[in-house]
Amino acid sequence: MSDEVRFSLTVDGTSHEVTARWSESLLTVLRDRLGVRGPKTGCAHGRCGACAVRADLGDGDPHVLCACLVPAATAAGGTVETIASIGGPDGELSDVQEAFLAEGAVQCGICTAGFVTAATELLESNPEPTRTEIEEALYGNLCRCTGYGRIVAAVETAARTRRGEAR
Amino acid sequence: MREQAQLGGVGTSARRPDGPAKVRGEFTYAGDLAAEGMLVGVTLRSPHPHARITRIDTAAARALPGVHAVLTADDVPGDLHFGLTLRDEPVLADGVVRYAGEPVAVVAAVDAATAGRAARAVEVDYEPLPALTDPQLSLTAEPLHPDGNVYRHVSYRCGDPDARGVVTVENTYRIGMQDPAFLAPEAGLAWPTPDGGVAIDVATQWLHSDQQQIGWATGLPPEKVHVRLAGVGGAFGGREDVTLQTHACLLALATGRPVKFEYTREESFLAHRQRHPGTIWLRHSADASGRIVSVEGRVLLDGGAYASTSPVVITNTVTLLQGPYRVDNGRFEGWSVRTNNPSCGAMRGFGVPQAAFAHEAQLDALAAALGMDPVEVRLHNALQRGDVATYGQRFDAPTPVREVLEGVRAVPLPQGPARNAPGGVGRSAEGGTVRRGVGYAVTIKNLAFSEGHVDESTAEVSLCDGHATVHTACAEVGQGFVTVAEQVARTVLGASTVEVTQPDTLIASAGSTSASRQTMASGTAVHRACLAVRDRLLGRVAREHGLDAAELTVADGVVCAAGQPLTTVAEAAPGRTFRATEHFQHPDTHPLGSPEARMYVGYGFSAQRAVVDVDVELGLVSVVQIASCQDVGTVINPTQLLGQIEGGIVQGMGLALMEEVVVADGRITNPDFQDYLIPTIIDAPEIVSTYVTDPQPGMPHGWKGVGEPPLCTAVPVVAAAVRAATGLALPAVPIKPEHIALGLGTPPTVTWTTPRPADPTLIGTVVLADEEVEDALGTMAEEGASPGR
Repeated sequence: MSDEVRFSLTVDGTSHEVTARWSESLLTVLRDRLGVRGPKTGCAHGRCGACAVRADLGDGDPHVLCACLVPAATAAGGTVETIASIGGPDGELSDVQEAFLAEGAVQCGICTAGFVTAATELLESNPEPTRTEIEEALYGNLCRCTGYGRIVAAVETAARTRRGEAR
Repeated sequence: MREQAQLGGVGTSARRPDGPAKVRGEFTYAGDLAAEGMLVGVTLRSPHPHARITRIDTAAARALPGVHAVLTADDVPGDLHFGLTLRDEPVLADGVVRYAGEPVAVVAAVDAATAGRAARAVEVDYEPLPALTDPQLSLTAEPLHPDGNVYRHVSYRCGDPDARGVVTVENTYRIGMQDPAFLAPEAGLAWPTPDGGVAIDVATQWLHSDQQQIGWATGLPPEKVHVRLAGVGGAFGGREDVTLQTHACLLALATGRPVKFEYTREESFLAHRQRHPGTIWLRHSADASGRIVSVEGRVLLDGGAYASTSPVVITNTVTLLQGPYRVDNGRFEGWSVRTNNPSCGAMRGFGVPQAAFAHEAQLDALAAALGMDPVEVRLHNALQRGDVATYGQRFDAPTPVREVLEGVRAVPLPQGPARNAPGGVGRSAEGGTVRRGVGYAVTIKNLAFSEGHVDESTAEVSLCDGHATVHTACAEVGQGFVTVAEQVARTVLGASTVEVTQPDTLIASAGSTSASRQTMASGTAVHRACLAVRDRLLGRVAREHGLDAAELTVADGVVCAAGQPLTTVAEAAPGRTFRATEHFQHPDTHPLGSPEARMYVGYGFSAQRAVVDVDVELGLVSVVQIASCQDVGTVINPTQLLGQIEGGIVQGMGLALMEEVVVADGRITNPDFQDYLIPTIIDAPEIVSTYVTDPQPGMPHGWKGVGEPPLCTAVPVVAAAVRAATGLALPAVPIKPEHIALGLGTPPTVTWTTPRPADPTLIGTVVLADEEVEDALGTMAEEGASPGR
């Protein structure tokens, strides 16, 4: 087809040669072309954060973004880390993932991968976030189940764990 | 045989068994499903809220390469009509479309793009008809449907409705349409089975309801329709009605291939049921001490194009207009009606948030008229155990209205400035125009299915070498039934590992995951099955050791004889599997007006206090804190309980302040998360949660449902606090910035002089003439259950 593009994309450490349509989003490429199902489709408008991934789209500036908002072709040559890159190789959970479980921050869980991704990025850049900084980092992620209280508690717990403090 | 808590047992903050997969992003939701040779299904929907279809031609669509099937109403082999309460809704439009978004045709093709092209290639000629979008006009308008326009009319009274005290307050309230807005759009994968049947993995709340309705549409007997639960990303009532289930199964049967549907966010708004918008008029009269003398109420709920649960929701709203207060004299009436607006149905709270918003505003108005403290007025009228409801049912279980109110009042008020000024972290508000307000609310919510609806569940439990397996048809939608089931199996059986298997229709129905009922229904079935398995295990151990089984107990995974360890559950009977299937059914209930007077299984009570900061110039609200005290029976899992309370409060806060499906000329104008706003982490207040634990009779551990009451209370309590901050009446939710800043927000004028429908038995299942009410209430009086006392 005339609107097809071919490019390479590294996802969770694995390099892929992708053939996609121009109009496809990075989320569609991840889910439907590469079978990477960690990022979820919530709104497809960049409003819910269920598809949040950490990506370097070739400008050397990796950051958390909504995969649904990125036209696939603009990710050419880029590096994407999804929820699968968080945690150990043998299914070992990261401190953030552990904290989400311990604090009851997971109910239906459709938002969880996005929240864990955004929270992990936050704690890497800011190990001692204030409540307001947690809110600023996570307000792009919607949760319909938890009321957010358990999610804030999880991020605070993970931050304390990371600083070596007891819970 | 005593039960004792063990690690991860009842009473502990056991973790979700599906949690590790969810935090790794590996949990399979319905939208993640795929199968070899799968086709993609797409729905063609009506652009018109009301139109006659004069022609459908699918030839061009069918001719497109990659298209495997295009189905219209003519291709439905079974019964065209379905519905949760009334079978009034066509699987595919039957010559008339009655709402914008109604499915007209479905397509299966090799991929989504092809299916979309095919759907657009279906030629449909519509003759637009006038859209009836005003629910008040629905009562007198030409019927939109052969079944008429009134889904149900309820009317009853108690005592002397004309009794008056010294103070009367009368207001009309309006509640907007709320969307469940679960984050995972509807999805499912259906395939034909070798026996000529069909199977579907789908995100749903009620497997057996889906099975029944798929059976109607396909013409297949139930045993040839196999429904399995796929991973569910939230529900809140919005997955109780069938959406894509029948379409996917019809296409799978027509093509002989697996067919997957996955709705877009916009389509999700069009396809599922919303919370009923409504108008409520209430007149309260009280004596000088603040005691309520009489309550009169009228409700009009817009049910939209098809019935769904509208005939049931209206009764909740009308009967619970009395609130958690003793009301001896009253007159209550309500209608749920058909329009060409989106169909409304179940959403968390099921008619009660509407009632709660209105009755709590009235209590504040009464307090103001009497110069009393709002909490004192509520305490003065609080229902107590032994009181009789306006509909005749005695409150025969713990009724801790006073306790939850006092519990919430005991929480210290937050001091100092709010974390976030109104406007969020952007801090658009100036400090000088910010006013703080404090409001209280308390509500009653019926738990479980009501009015004679069968409320049952079945569980199969097996135990082998300490490993337990639990099988039910209970849909886990995020609420945590899987955790409860594990906790029960650990506590009762001493199981070291527990597996909760995929719910499906191979086991008997568990009913819907709704109405705060699954812990009570399926949890109790699991508990009974675990007890039966334990009896079998202990019988075996007793025989082996020459003991009396009655002397044996299980504690922390250890079988004890007369308190001394004998063996472990894991080692008691190597390789031997013990199995039991048990059923639980709630006590019978009866329709409104029945002589038995028992409509509801039980109730939950919730009190909250909201503290808000309002920028009165910009109309922006920041909810600073909500303190909650809820009657929960017993605490099964402290962390998960907190999650249910906090989640419900924030959803209710959404309805109070920002969430409204805006419908103009029958069309939803904001079917996306850019314009339909749900609370973000910045909007969520600090929540202080306390509990009253008064065990529910007849339930294991005294547990009860907890999911809906927090939402029901959050709506009125946030409104009350904003009223306190602004001094405005604010009779409508959601309260929008312009309501505050510009003083707008009065509800539409409703005259309430509407004549009754010509045939009051049109659809409704209970329509009582006054004499019949008198008869029913007279019978109650003879039985010592006089609502008038």
